[in-house]
Amino acid sequence: MILLIAGCSTAAPASTEPVQGGTLVYATGDAEPTCLDPHVGGNYPQALVATQYLESLVSKDKSGEIIPWLATEWTEADDGLSWDFTLRDDVTFTDGTPFTAEAVIANVAHLQNPETGSSTGYLALQHVTGVEALDDTTARISLSQPDSGLLDSLSQPWLAIESPTALERPADENCESPVGTGPFVVTKWDRQQSITLERNDDYTSPPADAGHKGVAYLDTIEWRFLPDSASRYAALQSGTVDMIDNVQPDTIVAAKSEDQIEEINAPRPGASNRIELNSSKAPFDDALVREAFIRSANVNDSVTSLFFGTAERSYSALSSVEKFGTSDPSLFDYDQDAAAKLLDEAGWTDRDADGYRVKDGLTLELDFPVSTNQSIPAEVSLFEQLQSTAKEAGFKVNLEPLDLSSWYGALGENDYNLVSAPYTKVGADVLRILFDSAGTIPAPSGYFANHSQVKDPALDALLEGANSTSDDAERADLYAQAQDIILGGFYILPLYDQQNHYLLRSDVKGVRAMPTVSTPTLYDAWLAR
Amino acid sequence: MAGSLSVDLVAAPPRAGARGRLIRWALLRLGGVLFVLWAVATVTFFALRLIPGDPAEAILGGPGSQASAEALAQARADYGLDQPLFTQYLVYLAHLATGDLGSSYALRQPVASVILTNLWPTLLLAVLSLVVALAIALGLAVWSTRGGRIAAGVGSLLEIVAAAVPHFWLAISLILLFSTVLGWLPPVSVPGPLGLVLPVLTLAIPLAGFLGQVMREALLDAMDSPFVLSARARGEGDGGVFWRHALRHAAIPAIGLVGWAFGSLISGAVVVETIFARQGLGRSLLSAVQSRDVPLVIGVVLVVALAYMVVTTLTDLADRAVDPRLKRVSA
Repeated sequence: MILLIAGCSTAAPASTEPVQGGTLVYATGDAEPTCLDPHVGGNYPQALVATQYLESLVSKDKSGEIIPWLATEWTEADDGLSWDFTLRDDVTFTDGTPFTAEAVIANVAHLQNPETGSSTGYLALQHVTGVEALDDTTARISLSQPDSGLLDSLSQPWLAIESPTALERPADENCESPVGTGPFVVTKWDRQQSITLERNDDYTSPPADAGHKGVAYLDTIEWRFLPDSASRYAALQSGTVDMIDNVQPDTIVAAKSEDQIEEINAPRPGASNRIELNSSKAPFDDALVREAFIRSANVNDSVTSLFFGTAERSYSALSSVEKFGTSDPSLFDYDQDAAAKLLDEAGWTDRDADGYRVKDGLTLELDFPVSTNQSIPAEVSLFEQLQSTAKEAGFKVNLEPLDLSSWYGALGENDYNLVSAPYTKVGADVLRILFDSAGTIPAPSGYFANHSQVKDPALDALLEGANSTSDDAERADLYAQAQDIILGGFYILPLYDQQNHYLLRSDVKGVRAMPTVSTPTLYDAWLAR
Repeated sequence: MAGSLSVDLVAAPPRAGARGRLIRWALLRLGGVLFVLWAVATVTFFALRLIPGDPAEAILGGPGSQASAEALAQARADYGLDQPLFTQYLVYLAHLATGDLGSSYALRQPVASVILTNLWPTLLLAVLSLVVALAIALGLAVWSTRGGRIAAGVGSLLEIVAAAVPHFWLAISLILLFSTVLGWLPPVSVPGPLGLVLPVLTLAIPLAGFLGQVMREALLDAMDSPFVLSARARGEGDGGVFWRHALRHAAIPAIGLVGWAFGSLISGAVVVETIFARQGLGRSLLSAVQSRDVPLVIGVVLVVALAYMVVTTLTDLADRAVDPRLKRVSA
C-alpha cells in the first residue's frame, strides 16, 4: 500500500509559527442540523460541523488516493467479498472508551439499524453484510458482492466512527452530544444560535495528510447559524465572525478586493450540478427532443453573467474532483439551428401563436420544479435564462419554485420533465446511484435518485462492473464507457461543479477543505493575531 | 361547566351591576379566544399537511440527504404520520386540549420548551421596537404640526418613506451604514444591548412612519375641534392647548393601533431575527415552516395568536381609560 503524506498542503506561510489558543467563530449559512450525529439522516450541514469532532476509518488526499486515518492498513480478499482493516491501537474516544474493532462493529450496526434513521450512511453500506473483530485491532467487513466504492464510502463524515458507549445512549442524547475521536468535542448546543466546540486535549489521530500532529491549536470553535447571506458577509467584514460558508457569487467577487478576506474554493465531490432530462415520458422519451433542448440552452453565457467567473462550466456528469470523470464539450454546443432541425425531425414542426412548437395539438411544454432550498439564487436566475433561450427553439419551460417537501412530492409523482438535484458522495460510484435502472424504482416514499430515468441494461452492466472491480485501469475504462452513454444519450445538461466557497479572515491560518466531501477542517487552524 | 355558566348568565339580574357586565364580557372574550385558537390550530394543521410532499422526508432530509425507505417508514411510525390525516388531526387536537403542544420534528425538543426559550427575546424585541416607534412617531407628529410649513412637508415625507420601507432592505442598509462603513455596531446579534440597536431600529422605523401619519392627522383634527376653541376661550395658551388637550386625542388612534402594530412587529420579527441571527419566535417559525415542522409551526402560531388577542384586549382597556366617552357608549 502506498502511503502518501501531503504535508502542509495549504498551511500558513513558513515565516510564521502557529500560535496556540483562541476562539474561532465560524458562521454557517447551511440549515441547522436536526441532529449532530451524522449517522442520523446524513446531510451536508451535519458533515460540516461533524468534521470537527468525528473521524472516519480512512480519508482521501488531494490527488484522490485513499489514505490512513483511524485505520492504518486494509486488504481486500481475493474474492472481493471481505475487507480486513488494521486499526490504530492508541486512540481513545473523548468519553474514555478505547477505539477497537468492537467500535467498528457498533457503528456499522448503528448505521444499519432502521431505528437510527440513517439515509446516506445506510445507502453507502448497502453491500455490507456484517463486521467481525478478528482481534482488538483488526475488523473484517463482509460484503454481499464486491464493492470498489467501499473505501470511498467509509471516508465520508456520514460514516464516521463514534464511541460505542455513547451510541448506546437514547437517540436524543446522542444527537445532542455525539462522541468521537476528533480534535474537538461538542460541549454545548444552543438551538438556533450556536454550537460550542472545545479542544480535545488527548487528541492523537489526525489523518495522514494533516498539517501537524498532536492537539489542535484553537481552544474553542463557536459554530454560529447565520442564515442571511448579506449579514453573514457583513459579520465577516466587521470581524464579528472569522469564517463563513455558502458564499454567493456576488459576494465572492466583492471579497476579492478586500485584503482582510481570503477565499477557499472547494467544489463538492460526486455529481456535477446538472439539469436532468426525464426520459420516461413525452416529450423527452425522444432522444431528438432531448438533444434539441440541450442545443437550445445557452449555458455558457448565463454562467458567465450570473456567476462572474466564480464557477467554471462543466461538461461532465461527475465533479471535477472525481478522478474517473470524463467530459465532452462538443455534445453541449449552443446551436439554435441544430435545435430547430432536431425538433423538425422529431415531428414538432408547427408553432403556435406564441412561437411554441406544437405536435398533434399538444404544445411542447416542459415542467421544471425548482427546489429553492437547493438551488442558490444565481442558479434560479440561470434556469430563467435557459427558459428564454429554450423558448427561441419553441420549448415552453414552466419553472415552478417549490419548497423541499413539495419538490420531493413532484418528483415522486413523476410530475416533471426537467429537474436539478445536487448529489454529494465520494467516488464515481455516484453514477450507479444516479443512472442505474434500479434507481428509477421509487422507494415507498416516492423518492428515487435516477431522475433522468435512464433504463439501459448496457449502462447498468458497465456501472455494476465498475463497482465490483478494484482494478483502477479497468474501473477507469468502464466508467468512461458509462459516461459516454450518459452524455451521448443527452440525459443530462451539466452546468458546473457543486459550488462550495468559504471566506475567512486573512489572520486565520491553516484552514483547509477535506479532500473527501470538501468540508473545512479547523484542526490545523490558528489565529495570527 | 357550560351549564352553570348559562345559569349564571340567566340568573344575573336584568340591571346587572358593573361587576356582572365585566364577568359576562370576560367570559365572552374567553370563549372567543378559545374559538380563535381552535380555528388557528385547525387551519394551520390542514394547510401544512395538504401541501404536496411528505413530512417524513423533511424530518430526515434537509437538502442533500436521500432518505432510505426503511428510515422513512421508521420516521412515519415514530411521528404517527402513517395514520389517516383526520386521525392525526384528532390526536393532535386531543393533546392540544390537555395543553400538550407535542414535540418538534426538527429540533427534537418539546414545542413548549422551544417556545419558552424563544418567547422572551421576541417580546423584548417587539416591546422595545414599539416604544421606540411611538417615541419617533410622536416626535415627528409634534414637530411637523408645530414646526411650520416646511416641517410639515418634510415630516410627512419622512413618514411616508419610513412606512414604505421593507424590513429586509432597511436591515441591510442599516448594517451597511452602521457596521460595514462606520463600524459602530455589530452586524449580527451579539449578547448585550449593542446587539439590539439595529434590530430594534429596523422594526421601529417603518412602524413609526405609519403611527406618525395617524398621530399627525389626529393632532391636526384635534387642534381644529370645538373643545380647543373653548379651551382657548377659557384662556389656555398655545402650549397648554397642545400638550394638555390635543395630544390626548392624538394618543387615541395610536393606542388603538398598538394591537395591529404588535402583529406587524411579530411578522417583522421573522425577517429581522433571521437577518440579524437573533434568537426568537420569528426565526423558529421560519425554520419550522421551511422544514415542515408541523407541531412547532402550530405551536408558534397559537402563541402569537394568543399574544395578539391579549394585546388587543389590553388596548381596548387602555382606550377606555384614555377616552372616557367609550365607557358611556358601551354602558
